[in-house]
Amino acid sequence: MSHTRNRPLSAADLDAFGEELDAIRARVQADIGPRDARYIRRVVAGVRWTGVTGRALLFLGAFVHATLVPAWILGTLLLALSKILENMELGHNVMHGQYDWMNDPKLNGKTYEWDIVATGDNWRKTHNVQHHTYTNVRGMDDDIGYGLLRIFPEQRWRPFYLMQPLIAVVFALLFQWGVALQDLRIGRWLAGRMQPGELREAFRPVMRKVGKQVLKDYIVFPLLAGPFFLPVLLGNVVANGIRNLWTYTVIFCGHFTANAEIFPKEVVQNESRGHWYLRQLRGSSNLTGGKLMNVLTGNLSHQIEHHFYPDLPANRYAEIAVDVKRICVRYGQHYNTGSMPRQFGQVIWRILRHALPSRPRVLRTGEAIA
Amino acid sequence: MSALPTPKPRWPLRLARRAVSPALFDFWATRFNPLWTLEQPLARLVSRTSASRDAVTLVLRPNAHWAGIRAGQHVSVGVTIGGRRLIRSYSPTVLDDGNLAITVKAIPGGVVSQHLVRDARIGEVVSLDAAFGDMTLDEADAPLLLLAAGSGITPMRALLRDLAAQGMPGNVDLFYWARHHDEFCFTGELKALAAAHPRLRVHFLATREGDAPAARVDAMSFDTVTALHERRAVACGPAGFVEAARSRLRGTVARFDAEAFSLPAPTAVDEAGDVEVYLTRSGRTLTLSRNQSLLEGLEAQGVRPAHGCRMGICNSCACERQSGTTRHLLTGDRSSEPSTQVRLCVSAPGTDLILDL
Ligand code: FES
Repeated sequence: MSHTRNRPLSAADLDAFGEELDAIRARVQADIGPRDARYIRRVVAGVRWTGVTGRALLFLGAFVHATLVPAWILGTLLLALSKILENMELGHNVMHGQYDWMNDPKLNGKTYEWDIVATGDNWRKTHNVQHHTYTNVRGMDDDIGYGLLRIFPEQRWRPFYLMQPLIAVVFALLFQWGVALQDLRIGRWLAGRMQPGELREAFRPVMRKVGKQVLKDYIVFPLLAGPFFLPVLLGNVVANGIRNLWTYTVIFCGHFTANAEIFPKEVVQNESRGHWYLRQLRGSSNLTGGKLMNVLTGNLSHQIEHHFYPDLPANRYAEIAVDVKRICVRYGQHYNTGSMPRQFGQVIWRILRHALPSRPRVLRTGEAIA
Repeated sequence: MSALPTPKPRWPLRLARRAVSPALFDFWATRFNPLWTLEQPLARLVSRTSASRDAVTLVLRPNAHWAGIRAGQHVSVGVTIGGRRLIRSYSPTVLDDGNLAITVKAIPGGVVSQHLVRDARIGEVVSLDAAFGDMTLDEADAPLLLLAAGSGITPMRALLRDLAAQGMPGNVDLFYWARHHDEFCFTGELKALAAAHPRLRVHFLATREGDAPAARVDAMSFDTVTALHERRAVACGPAGFVEAARSRLRGTVARFDAEAFSLPAPTAVDEAGDVEVYLTRSGRTLTLSRNQSLLEGLEAQGVRPAHGCRMGICNSCACERQSGTTRHLLTGDRSSEPSTQVRLCVSAPGTDLILDL
C-alpha cells in the first residue's frame, strides 16, 4: 500500500539523524519561558469560558422557549468545543508533563485529571508509556486498532473483523468509553487470562471517574434545568458525542493513514535513538490546516513532532516542524502530511480493506528499516 | 515541630470542595479576588520597605488557608517569574495583624531575591506552603545563645519578638555577623529590644569594617557570655558559617541547633565522581555516580522508582528535586532550581541531591 520510497539509512546516518533531532530539542528546551506559560493559560481560559457559555446557552434555550433551537445548537457546539480543547490541547499535553516546568500544581503532568470518563492514570500508562515508547509496534502498542479493529494487514485476520466497518462507527461515537476501558484489557479477562478479582480492582478507579462524569453531565446539570431536563441532557450527550467523533478522527489520522507502518516486536531491542526517531516518523502522520487546526487537534496536527518530542510544549510544534521537515528531506525520508479529508479517507479505506483478509506487502530490498 | 493544625473549614467551603475541583473553583474565584482559592494557601504583597542597603522587608497578607507558623520556623514562598513558579524559603515574622513580614537580601545572580527586592509589585500574589523547621523554642526560659550571619537574622528576629512578648524569661545573647555596618537589618528594632529587656544582649559584628574588624565565629571567644555551658545555641546562616559555629561550640554549650541556607549553586559541575543523594520518603541516603542516570543509579542500589520508557519521553519517572544540581543527559543542561520536577531516566546528579522519593 505504501507509495513512498525512503532512502535506506546506515547506522551512521541514523546516528546523525538522531543527533540533529536531539539538537532541536535542546534548542527549544533552552528557550521555554513566559510565551509558553501565557499560551497554556490562555487555553485554560478558553476551556472555562467556552464551557460556561455553552452551559449557559443550554439553560437559556430551556427556559426561554423562543430561543430554544438556536441557543441549544450554539450551546451544544460550545460545550463540545470546550471539551475538545480540554481533552486535547490542555489535558493531553499537560499529562505529558509538557508544562511541568511551570511548577503549577494545577498543570502537573502526573496529577492532572481531565474532563472525560477515562482516568488520567490509565491514560498516562497506555498512552504516555506504551503508545509513545512502542509506537506502532505490534503486540506492544495497544493503540493499533485498540484491540477491536484490524488496520494493518500484519494483524491476523478473523471473521469477527468482517463487522468492523460497523464496529468502527460505534467505537467512534463512544470513543471516550473505549479509552476508559482500554487499560482494563477486558479481552484478556474474557479469554480467561485474568482473575475476576484483578479486573474488579482495576475497575474501581474507572467506575469512580465514570460516576463523576455521568453525575455532572447527565444528572446535575440537566436537573438544574428542572422541567426542561431533557434538552439540557440531550445537549450534554451530543456535546460528548461530537468530542468523541472529533478526537477519534484526529487520533486515527495520526497513525493509521495509508503510509503509516507497523513494526515487529524485535525492533525495540537495542534500538538506537536515531532508529527510534525513524520509527516515530514512519508511524505518524500530520494534518495540514493552519492555526485553527492546531488548536482544535491539541497540536496533534503535528503528530510527527509530538512523537519526537512528547514532552516539549505543544505550542512549539508548528515552529519545530519547519526544521524537522528540512531534516527529513535531507535524509530522504518521507514526511507524511495532508489535509484531514485526505488523511481520514485513507483511514476509512484501511478499515474497509482490512475487514477482509489481506496480506502484508513484501518489502523491496533495502526498504526495510535496519 | 510541624505547622499548626488546619482549622476545620466552614460548611460552604466543605460543600464546595465536594462539588467542584480546585482548578475550576480557583479559575473563577480568582477572577473576583486573586486570593480566593479552594485549598491553596496564597498571600498578597501589601508593602515593601527597605531594610538595609541591599535588603527589603516585604509584608504578605495570607488567605484563609494559611495554617500559621511558630516563631523560628520557615515558609516556602512560590514566586512566579517568567511563567515559572520558583520556590524559596524565608523565615517570616508574624505581625500583630496576622500578616507575615519577610526580609529578603538581593543575592547576585539570585533570580527570586532580585525580583523581590527590585521588581515585585504591590498586589502581587505568591503561593505559600505549610511552615516547617525545628528552630522553635520549647522552654521559653532556657538561656540562649543566638548566632546569625547575613539573612540568618530573620528567624532570630522572629524568636526574639516571641520571647519579648513573653517578657524575655531567660538570658539571651545574640551574635549577629555581617561584612559591613550598612548590611545589618533591624538594627533599630534589635537595639530597642535590648534596651527594653536587660536579659537580652545584642552584639553586632562587622567583619570588614574599619581598622578593628570583628572576629569571625571560629575565632570568637564568647567569654562575655555568662554560663556558656548551660546555653542552648541556635545558629542560622550560610552552610559554611553554620559548620564553623558548630565546630567552635562543640562541647561548650548544652545543645546546638542550626539551619543553613544554601547559596546559588555553582554553574560548572563535575561529570565524574560520586555524590550523596537523600531520599525524603524512605529517609535513605545513597552514594550515586555522576556519570550514570539517576534511574540507573537508584536501581543499582535496590530502589525501584516508577518508570516507563527510560528515555525521557513518558514522564513516568518524574520526581521532585528539592535541592541540588542535575545534568540533563540529552541536552547537557544543568538545573539547580529548588523544588523542580526532574526525569530520573535522563538526569544525572551534579551535586548532592535531595529527591522527593
Ligand atoms: S521513564 Fe519515561 S521519562 Fe523517564
